[in-house]
Amino acid sequence: MQLEARPSAFPDADLEHLMARYQQADPAAVAALVERLSPQLYRFFAGQLGSKADAEDMLQDTWLRIHRVRHTYRAGHPVLPWVHTIARRVRVDNYRKRYRISSREMGVDVLPECPVHNGETNLLPSFEELVAVLPESQREVVTMLKVDGLSLEEIARVTSSTTGAVRQKAHRAYERLRNLLEGVPKCPERTLTAQPAPQGVTQ
Amino acid sequence: MTCREMDTVIGSHSGDSTLPPEAARHVAECEGCRLLVIAFDTANNGLVPSAGRLKQIQTAMVESLRPVRPLASSRVYLLAFTLISLAVVVLGSFLLGMSGWDALSKVQRTIVFTALTASAILLAVSVVRQMAPGGKHSLSPRLLPIGILALLIVVIAAVFRVRHESAFVPDGLACLRTGLTYSIPAAFLFSLLLSGGAIMYPKLIGAAAGGLAGLIGLSVLEVQCPNLNEYHILVWHWGVILLCSIGGLSLGAAVEYTRRRGSHRNSRI
Repeated sequence: MQLEARPSAFPDADLEHLMARYQQADPAAVAALVERLSPQLYRFFAGQLGSKADAEDMLQDTWLRIHRVRHTYRAGHPVLPWVHTIARRVRVDNYRKRYRISSREMGVDVLPECPVHNGETNLLPSFEELVAVLPESQREVVTMLKVDGLSLEEIARVTSSTTGAVRQKAHRAYERLRNLLEGVPKCPERTLTAQPAPQGVTQ
Repeated sequence: MTCREMDTVIGSHSGDSTLPPEAARHVAECEGCRLLVIAFDTANNGLVPSAGRLKQIQTAMVESLRPVRPLASSRVYLLAFTLISLAVVVLGSFLLGMSGWDALSKVQRTIVFTALTASAILLAVSVVRQMAPGGKHSLSPRLLPIGILALLIVVIAAVFRVRHESAFVPDGLACLRTGLTYSIPAAFLFSLLLSGGAIMYPKLIGAAAGGLAGLIGLSVLEVQCPNLNEYHILVWHWGVILLCSIGGLSLGAAVEYTRRRGSHRNSRI
């Protein structure tokens, strides 16, 4: 079973064709690309930020940046890593901007509400709560794998890394999460989110 | 099946698909893996952006839609980098002479110039792949410049021996100046090539392109300088690459800072 062999969320040949038409200024290709890729990009931002408004702003920033550098897409190359690399850069820039602003603001702590639990699935923390305990580099890999549906090779391209390094990060993250989940108490006390890892952004 | 093997399945499993039988058996027995699979099944929770925002994005993009010429292929850029590098080294050898080349033994020549060529190829490939977002890297672009600097130290230390040198600093400064004289124009030409791409991480590409320009300066010095003192080469010849890499990194940092300031200003408007 090879993880790399997994098909992407979208048929990439189709996306490549749309990108080529976009570069030739076809408005229909723009609409198709925005509709097909936006949900995935939105989840990429929302999954790591938690704020839907911020995620939408970053989605817009990403598309504007994609529009500016659309000439750098090379025909025949996979589209998803190209798009996600730009999205990742937007996230890094946004993180820095937020950090600058938040360093001048006074924080008001709000305790999270306990969710209503119906079954075994609800006894577990949500995906966002779960990955919040991971170091940023591992959280990013797990989010791209599980939320955005990228393959290890695609993630390696996005993070300017090697497939081996990404695989290693995923294994470490799963190992850590497995250990944490085995220790999740039956009463939902949000133990996992009590001390989340620093929300830094790796480059 | 072990938990380690299960990681591969977990990574590729999506909520709407069934687990392979072997993985399903493991999940039934292993609490950690079972909970992980359940937790990850909630990951793709159908979050979608608002239709209004998507419409806004599409309108903005269509309004300024013009045909663009795609970036040339990696091979074209590699060829351009190679031609620039060769042209500068040949020009340097023609203007300054080849006393360094003559002073080297056959073995020294082979080892030194093989290492320089291999390093230049690796850096050029890394730079070209960074020009378009999402390029494939077989070697980490973060570690490559550091690795090449380290490799060259080892090569120099292995190939050359310590010799007496009466004017270590004045001779060295002359070599450093010569190396930089050829590295800086090469770096300028590289920056012209790079300006066509989308540079996501200016510091990384700056360090790599600077390192490549430094390698050209070092190559010119190895062809021209007959001084085979190990310390002279380690400090003044290798120093050219170090300075150029640091220069490229600093320029990249400046570009990143300027961009950030630009986006900060835009966000305030």
